[in-house]
Amino acid sequence: MDKIEQILISIGPGKSWEQKAEGRWLEDPGLDVEKMAGVMIEAGARLVTVSASSLDTGEFRLIYHWDVEGSLLNCATLTSQGALPSIARICPAADWIELEIHDYYAVNFTGRDLPPLMLNEHDPAGIFSRKFQRKPKAGGRP
Amino acid sequence: MSYTIPIGPYHPALEEPCKVQVICEGETVQDVALSVQYNFRGVEWLAERRNYQQAVALVERVCGICSNVHTLTFCTAVERLAGLTVSERAQYIRTIVVELERLASHALWAGIAAEVMGFQTLFMTCFALREQLMDLLENLSGNRVHYGMNCIGGVTRDLADPKAVLTVARSVRQAVSDRLIPLFANDETVRARCAGTGILTRELALAWGAVGPTARASGLSEDIRRTSPYAAYAKLDFEVPVETAGDVFARVVVRLLEMVQSCRIIEQAVDAVPPGPIHGPDFVEVPRGEAVARSEAPRGELFYYVASDGTDVPCRVKIRTPSFVNIPIVRPMMIGANLADVALINASVDPCYSCTSR
Repeated sequence: MDKIEQILISIGPGKSWEQKAEGRWLEDPGLDVEKMAGVMIEAGARLVTVSASSLDTGEFRLIYHWDVEGSLLNCATLTSQGALPSIARICPAADWIELEIHDYYAVNFTGRDLPPLMLNEHDPAGIFSRKFQRKPKAGGRP
Repeated sequence: MSYTIPIGPYHPALEEPCKVQVICEGETVQDVALSVQYNFRGVEWLAERRNYQQAVALVERVCGICSNVHTLTFCTAVERLAGLTVSERAQYIRTIVVELERLASHALWAGIAAEVMGFQTLFMTCFALREQLMDLLENLSGNRVHYGMNCIGGVTRDLADPKAVLTVARSVRQAVSDRLIPLFANDETVRARCAGTGILTRELALAWGAVGPTARASGLSEDIRRTSPYAAYAKLDFEVPVETAGDVFARVVVRLLEMVQSCRIIEQAVDAVPPGPIHGPDFVEVPRGEAVARSEAPRGELFYYVASDGTDVPCRVKIRTPSFVNIPIVRPMMIGANLADVALINASVDPCYSCTSR
């Protein structure tokens, strides 16, 4: 059994991974991200990044992209009340990634401090979630 | 007694804004705190408010040095989403331009590293070499910085003068092999400053997710051109230089050897460019879905995630640049180092703050 097969089984036997051109994808709203990170680190995988996006429900979808010997494993999960456990303690590569997602979407990664990375010290987190309104042009119709 | 030295955000040794707070005990670095937010422009947020064609021009502005690889990676992700096949000719042209960009980037880095070491002659040698590459890129694309070469489905310009490309590639290969490598490898000053400085072990490199020459100087062999080939790389013969010492000198060696390999790739690609169209349809429908694309930028793996809701505006564009993962690693490299080596260690990962903050 190769390394990738071992990872797929360890993260969750019976879970269905979809094969695409750019790697395998797992959709698991209740994914245990700390267990996933532990399995990946143990197997010598590299955390490429985490892609976050906001949903209409007020929650966020996070995709953990891992590189295993050149192949991509993409594990998607959902936040619960805007929070997910931090994996930065297990995986140092997640440190800045989590800080950046907190800056952009105010996702709360529990179990760690979340100082601003891209924002100034007193700026509120969640800059990508703010509703920006276009100012009316001077002299124009409102 | 420990003391803190703030370097930046505006400092003559660092041309881009970054703040490095160095905590020292005597001359020895005890800890380092990095601040990188000064170039934050919200490019991802902006890309989600532009149509796909406009977003190509936007992502090209993420970086002034590796702009072409940004558009290449974004276009590759969108092409996957749209199910577009890029012509062979366009794939070869993309490969040639992206390797020329790597050469220009590495020559720039080598010059800056030489200047940080106090070796002005070497700095001038590197920049004279880079000028040849900049002139060639200007001839090919019309621009010295943002080339505007990639579009969704192919490239915007044909390879007008393949002989000029070959001439420059051969000239650069000779200059790097005959002058730069011996100068960097044999000079006592370079060795004294770089050997044993800023060591990053293989284990730390993997744990922190190091990429590109920084990772390959610490014994990790991954190169996206080899492990997940894109453009025309699967058809070209090249080596991936790997060193194991993990110090600044190893990073110097890896980049110089990569320059030789880039010249080899360009020479083969120019010889093998097939005839055919250079781009696909002018208007592309992007269905609902998501895709990722990875490329080997000059500083390492560049990653794009693009999601579509079926409209002409992407609903999510995530950009992970190589500097975003390589810059935090300077902290473990600097701890225990001499204060005088801080600037050199920082320069050794070829940091780009414009890419990092986006």
